[in-house]
Amino acid sequence: MSTAVPPPSRKEILSLFRSFLRSSRQFSDYNIREYTKRRTIDAFHHNKTLSNPTSISAAFADGKYQLQVAKRQALVYYFYSPKVKSIMDIKY
Amino acid sequence: MASALRAAILGHIRVPVVANGSKLLTPLWIRSMSSHDDHLEKTQVIDRILDIVKSFPKVDPSKVTPEVHFQKDLGLDSLDNVEIIMAIEEEFKLEIPDKEADKIDSCALAIEYVYNHPMAS
Repeated sequence: MSTAVPPPSRKEILSLFRSFLRSSRQFSDYNIREYTKRRTIDAFHHNKTLSNPTSISAAFADGKYQLQVAKRQALVYYFYSPKVKSIMDIKY
Repeated sequence: MASALRAAILGHIRVPVVANGSKLLTPLWIRSMSSHDDHLEKTQVIDRILDIVKSFPKVDPSKVTPEVHFQKDLGLDSLDNVEIIMAIEEEFKLEIPDKEADKIDSCALAIEYVYNHPMAS
Protein backbone atom coordinates (compact mmCIF):
# COMPACT_ATOMS: atom_id res chain seq x y z
CA MET A 1 0.00 0.00 0.00
CA SER A 2 1.48 3.32 -1.00
CA THR A 3 -0.87 5.55 1.00
CA ALA A 4 -2.14 4.52 4.41
CA VAL A 5 -5.53 5.85 5.50
CA PRO A 6 -5.11 7.28 9.01
CA PRO A 7 -7.09 5.41 11.65
CA PRO A 8 -10.17 7.17 13.00
CA SER A 9 -9.55 9.74 15.71
CA ARG A 10 -10.96 9.56 19.20
CA LYS A 11 -13.57 12.19 18.30
CA GLU A 12 -14.80 10.23 15.30
CA ILE A 13 -15.17 7.09 17.36
CA LEU A 14 -17.09 8.91 20.08
CA SER A 15 -19.26 10.53 17.41
CA LEU A 16 -20.04 7.10 15.94
CA PHE A 17 -20.92 5.83 19.40
CA ARG A 18 -23.23 8.78 19.96
CA SER A 19 -24.92 8.24 16.58
CA PHE A 20 -25.58 4.61 17.51
CA LEU A 21 -27.19 5.60 20.81
CA ARG A 22 -29.28 8.28 19.11
CA SER A 23 -30.58 5.92 16.46
CA SER A 24 -31.34 3.30 19.10
CA ARG A 25 -33.66 5.81 20.80
CA GLN A 26 -35.85 5.94 17.71
CA PHE A 27 -37.06 2.38 18.08
CA SER A 28 -40.50 2.26 19.56
CA ASP A 29 -40.09 -1.34 20.69
CA TYR A 30 -38.51 -1.44 24.15
CA ASN A 31 -36.70 -4.72 23.55
CA ILE A 32 -34.93 -3.64 20.40
CA ARG A 33 -34.09 -0.25 21.83
CA GLU A 34 -32.42 -1.82 24.86
CA TYR A 35 -30.68 -4.46 22.76
CA THR A 36 -29.18 -1.87 20.40
CA LYS A 37 -27.92 0.18 23.33
CA ARG A 38 -26.45 -2.85 25.09
CA ARG A 39 -24.84 -4.24 21.97
CA THR A 40 -23.15 -0.98 20.97
CA ILE A 41 -21.83 -0.42 24.49
CA ASP A 42 -20.48 -3.97 24.64
CA ALA A 43 -18.95 -3.81 21.18
CA PHE A 44 -17.22 -0.49 21.77
CA HIS A 45 -15.85 -1.64 25.10
CA HIS A 46 -14.67 -4.88 23.57
CA ASN A 47 -12.72 -3.04 20.89
CA LYS A 48 -11.48 -0.34 23.25
CA THR A 49 -8.06 -1.91 23.69
CA LEU A 50 -7.15 -2.34 20.05
CA SER A 51 -3.83 -0.75 19.15
CA ASN A 52 -3.18 -1.91 15.61
CA PRO A 53 -4.28 0.87 13.19
CA THR A 54 -5.57 -1.54 10.55
CA SER A 55 -7.76 -3.38 13.03
CA ILE A 56 -9.01 -0.06 14.42
CA SER A 57 -9.94 1.07 10.90
CA ALA A 58 -11.60 -2.27 10.18
CA ALA A 59 -13.65 -2.09 13.37
CA PHE A 60 -14.61 1.52 12.60
CA ALA A 61 -15.73 0.61 9.06
CA ASP A 62 -17.74 -2.29 10.44
CA GLY A 63 -19.30 0.06 12.96
CA LYS A 64 -20.31 2.53 10.24
CA TYR A 65 -21.94 -0.26 8.27
CA GLN A 66 -23.86 -1.43 11.33
CA LEU A 67 -24.99 2.13 11.99
CA GLN A 68 -26.58 2.21 8.53
CA VAL A 69 -28.27 -1.10 9.31
CA ALA A 70 -29.63 0.29 12.58
CA LYS A 71 -30.93 3.45 10.90
CA ARG A 72 -32.69 1.48 8.17
CA GLN A 73 -34.22 -0.86 10.70
CA ALA A 74 -35.44 2.02 12.83
CA LEU A 75 -37.27 3.34 9.77
CA VAL A 76 -38.74 -0.05 8.86
CA TYR A 77 -39.89 -0.64 12.42
CA TYR A 78 -41.47 2.79 12.46
CA PHE A 79 -43.49 2.02 9.33
CA TYR A 80 -44.71 -1.30 10.62
CA SER A 81 -45.06 -0.44 14.30
CA PRO A 82 -48.00 -1.97 16.13
CA LYS A 83 -50.88 0.33 16.87
CA VAL A 84 -50.79 -0.24 20.62
CA LYS A 85 -47.64 0.19 22.66
CA SER A 86 -48.46 -2.37 25.30
CA ILE A 87 -50.48 -5.57 25.09
CA MET A 88 -52.39 -4.46 28.17
CA ASP A 89 -54.05 -1.80 26.00
CA ILE A 90 -55.57 -4.28 23.56
CA LYS A 91 -59.33 -4.55 24.04
CA TYR A 92 -60.82 -7.85 23.03
CA MET B 1 -79.71 71.75 9.90
CA ALA B 2 -77.96 68.74 8.39
CA SER B 3 -75.31 68.86 11.07
CA ALA B 4 -77.93 68.88 13.84
CA LEU B 5 -79.69 65.93 12.20
CA ARG B 6 -76.37 64.17 11.86
CA ALA B 7 -75.54 64.76 15.52
CA ALA B 8 -78.96 63.45 16.58
CA ILE B 9 -78.60 60.32 14.49
CA LEU B 10 -75.09 59.73 15.77
CA GLY B 11 -76.30 60.20 19.32
CA HIS B 12 -78.70 57.31 18.82
CA ILE B 13 -76.31 55.10 16.94
CA ARG B 14 -73.31 55.47 19.20
CA VAL B 15 -73.10 52.76 21.82
CA PRO B 16 -72.67 54.25 25.25
CA VAL B 17 -69.45 53.26 27.02
CA VAL B 18 -70.14 50.94 29.93
CA ALA B 19 -67.98 51.68 32.89
CA ASN B 20 -66.62 48.21 33.57
CA GLY B 21 -64.82 47.39 36.77
CA SER B 22 -61.11 47.68 36.15
CA LYS B 23 -60.65 44.22 37.64
CA LEU B 24 -61.59 42.71 34.30
CA LEU B 25 -58.87 44.52 32.44
CA THR B 26 -55.60 42.63 32.74
CA PRO B 27 -52.58 44.86 32.37
CA LEU B 28 -50.75 44.45 29.10
CA TRP B 29 -47.52 43.35 30.75
CA ILE B 30 -48.96 40.14 32.20
CA ARG B 31 -48.26 37.47 29.56
CA SER B 32 -50.75 34.83 30.55
CA MET B 33 -49.66 32.16 28.06
CA SER B 34 -45.94 32.75 28.28
CA SER B 35 -43.70 29.93 29.44
CA HIS B 36 -40.62 32.11 29.26
CA ASP B 37 -40.15 32.24 33.02
CA ASP B 38 -40.96 28.54 33.37
CA HIS B 39 -37.40 27.68 34.39
CA LEU B 40 -36.24 24.72 36.35
CA GLU B 41 -35.01 25.26 39.86
CA LYS B 42 -31.30 24.70 40.28
CA THR B 43 -31.88 22.28 43.15
CA GLN B 44 -34.20 20.22 40.94
CA VAL B 45 -31.59 20.10 38.18
CA ILE B 46 -28.88 19.07 40.64
CA ASP B 47 -31.03 16.31 42.16
CA ARG B 48 -32.06 14.87 38.84
CA ILE B 49 -28.55 14.85 37.44
CA LEU B 50 -27.12 13.26 40.58
CA ASP B 51 -29.80 10.55 40.38
CA ILE B 52 -28.83 9.79 36.80
CA VAL B 53 -25.15 9.51 37.67
CA LYS B 54 -25.84 7.41 40.76
CA SER B 55 -27.98 4.94 38.85
CA PHE B 56 -25.22 4.32 36.32
CA PRO B 57 -24.07 0.73 36.92
CA LYS B 58 -20.34 1.43 36.97
CA VAL B 59 -20.60 4.27 39.45
CA ASP B 60 -20.26 4.06 43.21
CA PRO B 61 -23.20 6.16 44.47
CA SER B 62 -21.44 7.27 47.64
CA LYS B 63 -18.78 9.11 45.66
CA VAL B 64 -21.21 11.21 43.65
CA THR B 65 -21.22 14.91 44.52
CA PRO B 66 -22.22 17.92 42.43
CA GLU B 67 -18.56 18.66 41.67
CA VAL B 68 -17.38 15.18 40.81
CA HIS B 69 -15.44 14.65 37.57
CA PHE B 70 -16.58 11.65 35.55
CA GLN B 71 -13.25 10.36 34.37
CA LYS B 72 -10.95 11.55 37.10
CA ASP B 73 -13.00 10.95 40.26
CA LEU B 74 -15.39 8.19 39.23
CA GLY B 75 -12.92 6.28 37.08
CA LEU B 76 -15.15 6.23 34.04
CA ASP B 77 -14.31 5.95 30.37
CA SER B 78 -14.96 8.43 27.59
CA LEU B 79 -17.60 5.99 26.30
CA ASP B 80 -19.27 6.06 29.73
CA ASN B 81 -19.12 9.83 29.56
CA VAL B 82 -21.11 9.78 26.31
CA GLU B 83 -23.59 7.35 27.86
CA ILE B 84 -24.18 9.58 30.86
CA ILE B 85 -24.70 12.62 28.64
CA MET B 86 -27.21 10.58 26.58
CA ALA B 87 -29.08 9.72 29.77
CA ILE B 88 -29.14 13.41 30.73
CA GLU B 89 -30.50 14.27 27.26
CA GLU B 90 -33.32 11.79 27.74
CA GLU B 91 -34.15 12.96 31.23
CA PHE B 92 -34.41 16.66 30.34
CA LYS B 93 -35.73 16.16 26.81
CA LEU B 94 -32.82 18.01 25.24
CA GLU B 95 -30.68 17.58 22.16
CA ILE B 96 -27.09 18.36 23.04
CA PRO B 97 -24.88 18.88 19.96
CA ASP B 98 -21.63 16.93 19.74
CA LYS B 99 -19.41 19.94 20.23
CA GLU B 100 -21.07 20.88 23.51
CA ALA B 101 -21.30 17.29 24.67
CA ASP B 102 -17.57 16.78 24.27
CA LYS B 103 -16.92 19.54 26.78
CA ILE B 104 -19.18 18.15 29.50
CA ASP B 105 -16.73 16.29 31.67
CA SER B 106 -18.06 16.63 35.17
CA CYS B 107 -21.27 16.94 37.15
CA ALA B 108 -20.71 20.67 37.63
CA LEU B 109 -20.52 21.31 33.88
CA ALA B 110 -23.58 19.14 33.24
CA ILE B 111 -25.62 20.98 35.89
CA GLU B 112 -24.56 24.35 34.50
CA TYR B 113 -25.36 23.36 30.91
CA VAL B 114 -28.81 22.00 31.73
CA TYR B 115 -29.67 24.93 33.99
CA ASN B 116 -28.74 27.45 31.30
CA HIS B 117 -30.51 25.62 28.51
CA PRO B 118 -33.83 27.32 27.66
CA MET B 119 -35.54 24.14 26.52
CA ALA B 120 -34.85 21.99 29.56
CA SER B 121 -37.93 20.49 31.14
